[in-house]
Amino acid sequence: MNLSFFDQFTSPCLLGIPLILISMLFPALLLPSPNNRWITNRLSTLQLWLFHLITKQLMIPLNKNGHKWALLLTSLMTLLLTINLLGLLPYTFTPTTQLSMNMALAFPLWLATLLTGLRNQPSIALGHLLPEGTPTPLIPALIMIETTSLLIRPLALGVRLTANLTAGHLLIQLISTATTALLPIMPTISLLTALILFLLTILEVAVAMIQAYVFVLLLSLYLQENI
Amino acid sequence: MAGHDSGSQHQFTGFQKYFNSYTITGRRNYVIATYTGVAMLILYFKLRPKKKTPAVADK
Repeated sequence: MNLSFFDQFTSPCLLGIPLILISMLFPALLLPSPNNRWITNRLSTLQLWLFHLITKQLMIPLNKNGHKWALLLTSLMTLLLTINLLGLLPYTFTPTTQLSMNMALAFPLWLATLLTGLRNQPSIALGHLLPEGTPTPLIPALIMIETTSLLIRPLALGVRLTANLTAGHLLIQLISTATTALLPIMPTISLLTALILFLLTILEVAVAMIQAYVFVLLLSLYLQENI
Repeated sequence: MAGHDSGSQHQFTGFQKYFNSYTITGRRNYVIATYTGVAMLILYFKLRPKKKTPAVADK
């Protein structure tokens, strides 16, 4: 069966049964579950340290009401981080390359921050749509611009994650194809391409972590404005 | 100088009391007024009676 360059992004299916749910839940199996020992093993301690670091960094700018979001944001961060990093292994499917999944994460969470703001502090939430000190002639235009930027946030969140990961995976596949194709023809060029592939893989590891962080950070920023 | 404080020390009167790009309530009122204006515009264009052009008679 001949594969095209986009077949790595097709949602996996076995005998007609979609496997997307398994591929989303699988990273949780890799994380050690907490036990009731006082001092745990190295892996559990490392995991705990990481979760504490993530939660602390996310919760510092938030007030007490915002701390209710700690579990959601930390688990979202862990999910995206593990999915993105596991997707860099060969022949794995990355659920976050699917726009449907990223929009399903971004849209409800953004809407939740917006509705929280409108419910708890409607005047401040509406007042944020006009920057302080705007000259009077610019006010209607700026309000429309700020409204548009508000409404485009979930789209930007979802598409940013999708595009970054899809582009990275495609690039890796293209350059690795070039490396193997050039190997019998021009081995030196193939070696150069392999070096580029190595550097690109390091970049993709960084992008995988950064994109997960940016997604959650932006959500926490939208929350800060509204809580 | 005149506009870089939060406006809490000043007593605004008239238009500036309600529509003011320095106080949070003033900004909120501007936003509501703009949204109302846009909604009115849309409603006007939707509900205005359409002009009917008379049919061209065959010669």
